[in-house]
Amino acid sequence: MPEATVPFKIFRYKQGQNAGHYDTFDVPIDEDTTVLVALQTIRRDQDSTLMLRHSCHHASCGTCAMLVNGREELPCVVNVLDLRSSPVVVEPLRNIPLVSDLVVDMTDFYARVNPADRPYVRHSEFLPWAQTPDGIDSYSRFENCIECGACVSACPISGTDPDYYGPAALAAAWRVVEEPRGRQPQQALNWVDNEKGCWRCHVAFECTEVCPSGVDPGGKIMALRGELSKQKLRGLFGFGRR
Amino acid sequence: MQETQDLESRGPVRARRPLTAWFDVRRDRLGSWAFALNRLTALGLTLYLFIHMAVLYLLAQGESRWDSFILVVRSPLFLALDVVLIFGILFHGLNGIRVSLVGMGIGVRNHRRLFWILSAIGLVLLLVSAWLVFTI
Amino acid sequence: MRDKSLTHQGPRQDRSGAIWLIQAFSGLLLVALLLLHMVAHHFIVEGGLREFRQVVDYASHPAIFAITIIFLIVVTVHTVLGLRAILIDLRPSLAARRSIDWLLLAIGVAIIIYGIWLEFIIARL
Repeated sequence: MPEATVPFKIFRYKQGQNAGHYDTFDVPIDEDTTVLVALQTIRRDQDSTLMLRHSCHHASCGTCAMLVNGREELPCVVNVLDLRSSPVVVEPLRNIPLVSDLVVDMTDFYARVNPADRPYVRHSEFLPWAQTPDGIDSYSRFENCIECGACVSACPISGTDPDYYGPAALAAAWRVVEEPRGRQPQQALNWVDNEKGCWRCHVAFECTEVCPSGVDPGGKIMALRGELSKQKLRGLFGFGRR
Repeated sequence: MQETQDLESRGPVRARRPLTAWFDVRRDRLGSWAFALNRLTALGLTLYLFIHMAVLYLLAQGESRWDSFILVVRSPLFLALDVVLIFGILFHGLNGIRVSLVGMGIGVRNHRRLFWILSAIGLVLLLVSAWLVFTI
Repeated sequence: MRDKSLTHQGPRQDRSGAIWLIQAFSGLLLVALLLLHMVAHHFIVEGGLREFRQVVDYASHPAIFAITIIFLIVVTVHTVLGLRAILIDLRPSLAARRSIDWLLLAIGVAIIIYGIWLEFIIARL
């Protein structure tokens, strides 16, 4: 039995239109309904033209990221009743080209993150006491970043300049420096050492605030700067560049 | 440039306009407020620098010009503007210390705490300065 | 498939890191210089420097004269680089960016020359 009916105010846009608009739908909600499930309910029962992207339903894939009440979220893990808002406003991510309704085109986002060449696995810091089976030296785990695009949506500079690498790509570059796993850290540092890279950030830390996966891109951009600053100052005072 | 054109031909980009992005201060987002205020105070202080340097030319024009200028800036309106100026200097300076330190990799994890500590220092200095401006 | 690895990215480094460091250090230096400026102008003489003669005598003191010129240069560098950062965020075209760089350089040099000239005039009063 639904516990409440909650209005959802949803951003709508279709290819060829000049601008978007908002449609409102009343959705029956129970205590477990997430924003993503509510959107799927609208699509199933009220408007089959509503476009959205999703995959895993448990914050692992990063596919569904969007704005819920103006904040970057993974709607698959946002409980509707916890929001305590009426209506719930749902919009696509900012600073990324729109495809339709709540779907954005992630092509450029991926094209920016890939050059960082970050391995997808990292040394696992969890269960350090656990014994590893024969033939396995140590445990690895996946990187934190789920490439959802929330950081780019929240970043004021990604909102300013489409050529800025953006928080996710820069954070990926720092991971190469931090844990190279066969890559060349200096190449990663050289890649970000320019106006479109780590120097463009204006330290608003919005990326870190909205990251659903604990990546802390803002902190990692500052780490890149710190490392490059050290190199530059060492070079300036004659201690050699590296 | 090609990349940008391709990107924008694929569909509109919400909020990819510089001024919208700079002043996108949604709700309680501390970093955005700090960034937007840093920009505003930067522009204000730049304007003040130009005015300040132009005004100093009055010294070269002799004592009477200078004295009449001093009379004007002792008015309550100008004293209130002095307090606005001090706010701009304090915010830009103290936030600048935070941004510089964090940008060099110092105190990155504590940047929020650093912001509030510096804000508290700034508030005390602002109140003391305002009192001095109106009482000296 | 295009090789996207870092080895194939080519050189991308530019001067923005050096510019950021200059901006950061000039900013930190400005905090100290401005503190000195404010204390000197408002607390050394009771009631602050206001009288024409007091201001001129103060500005003519050799140490103050030197510090003022350093202050002038540092504040101008910081202002010009700050304006540049803001203007670049407005996404000017490449040609406009070149003009902006030259214009800001001209403004910076003009402010410094004007300031030094004014300092000498005031010191001779």
